[in-house]
Amino acid sequence: MLKWYKEAANNSDVIISSRVRLARNLKKYPFSIKLNDQQADLLVQEVGEAGKVLVTQTNKKYNFCNVNVLTDIDKIAMVERHVISPLLVEKEQSTGLILSEDEKVSIMINEEDHLRIQSVTGGMNIFEAFKTANLIDDITSELFDFAFSEKYGYLTSCPTNLGTGLRASYMMFLPALTVAGRITQLAEELGKYGIALRGTYGEASKSYGNIYQISNQKTLGSTEKEIIERLNRIVEQVMRQERRQREYLLTNSYDEIEDKVYRSYGILKYAKQISSADAMALLAQLKFGADMELIHIGQNYNIHELMMNIQPGNLQYQLDKAISSTQRDKFRADYIRKALPNIV
Amino acid sequence: MLCDRCKKNEAQVYYTEIINGEKTEQHLCEECAAEYTSFHMGTPIMNQELTLGNLLSTILGNYGGTAQEKGNAQTELHCDNCGMTYSEFMKTGRFGCENCYESFHTLLDKSIRSIQGADTHTGKKPKKYEVKTKDIINELSEIDKLSIQLQDAVEKEEFEEAARLRDRIRALKKEEINNA
Repeated sequence: MLKWYKEAANNSDVIISSRVRLARNLKKYPFSIKLNDQQADLLVQEVGEAGKVLVTQTNKKYNFCNVNVLTDIDKIAMVERHVISPLLVEKEQSTGLILSEDEKVSIMINEEDHLRIQSVTGGMNIFEAFKTANLIDDITSELFDFAFSEKYGYLTSCPTNLGTGLRASYMMFLPALTVAGRITQLAEELGKYGIALRGTYGEASKSYGNIYQISNQKTLGSTEKEIIERLNRIVEQVMRQERRQREYLLTNSYDEIEDKVYRSYGILKYAKQISSADAMALLAQLKFGADMELIHIGQNYNIHELMMNIQPGNLQYQLDKAISSTQRDKFRADYIRKALPNIV
Repeated sequence: MLCDRCKKNEAQVYYTEIINGEKTEQHLCEECAAEYTSFHMGTPIMNQELTLGNLLSTILGNYGGTAQEKGNAQTELHCDNCGMTYSEFMKTGRFGCENCYESFHTLLDKSIRSIQGADTHTGKKPKKYEVKTKDIINELSEIDKLSIQLQDAVEKEEFEEAARLRDRIRALKKEEINNA
């Protein structure tokens, strides 16, 4: 079974992945901020058991782990691969994770809400992601009584998730709009339509490699389908703007851009040490060049996967030990040199 | 500049009042401003740092009434189930349990609408609830069922369907009267 970042996908020149998250709480326990340590232990254990049921009712294999007993490197690596959230890592109470083998489905236990069901697919394929998350919700709602009211829908710890508990988001690669300095303006425009634009790792995070997250802000008053369709309409617009801007760049400064792309490849291929921020910026250039067919590095080569693998946590995860940041920069340069395909 | 009213303290508030089109301007000190207007400089809301975290609770809080009423509400209003107080919620923007939505509902409706743009869930329900809803619907009379459908059709602006339902309801009502 292919992991999501290895799939060939729709519109992958602009859209890296589609993600859906459902927030759910068990009726029998208080919400996160009023949950005591003992209740947290019970919650994690109880929901963790549900992993076994998922195995029998879907065609995927799932693994369960207690997140708070993992090493820091493991945790950071998972955050970088978007399997878990930074908030889950920071928590001192018991926290858990049910993760499918292909990393497409995960359930975070005792995050801001008791359950955060997440499903992700490569490229623009959000209804597929929703279908999976919805199925997991159906199965888990047979096992647990979820906090729900006729009026407000699914009750969540924070009223901003109330109702459907649905956050649908796209991870978008927007190099041309970034170069044009259009991102801040875009974020403001999207805000008017109840759509949020954020950095790579969600709330308040910076964007690395010109990658942004675009998601719905409102969760109440519309059906799941309506929320997703509304987001899709906006995302299609953003996609069109990005592509237009790319064409504009190429018509006006083809030579400069081609030069930049090849220089990026050169540095990535021959650098002896490289920081993750530098590497991300260069890989973004390379991805842009490959998407626009300025440089040919093989059609199925997935630069985004490389972007995740060279993050500090994932590098150390592959080495299976913690290393200093200078050592890391050397190892990263080595890693990229070996992983980077030749120009065809 | 000294306060226009007490002429003792330094004026800190520039207060413009328009009553029946007549404009009066006053420079007031904090004390006089508080006394002669409903302006409270010292309320926690105004001194609070407007961080992103409490921006939400500020929106929620602003619907709770005036600053003074809120002071009272804060000491009284809490959730019986988890012990969450209103001021605690204002600080964190998070509820303590599902009952909080019930406990604070008097302050909640408008503020939820201002965050979410809506106040009623129309999406998915847990299966157990769907069964419950179906049971309730089954117990309804034919006319009640049709009335619900009619409302639904009007909301969706399906007027042909609405007209059909309206006629059907009329016919049924007539039948009922005839039978009686």
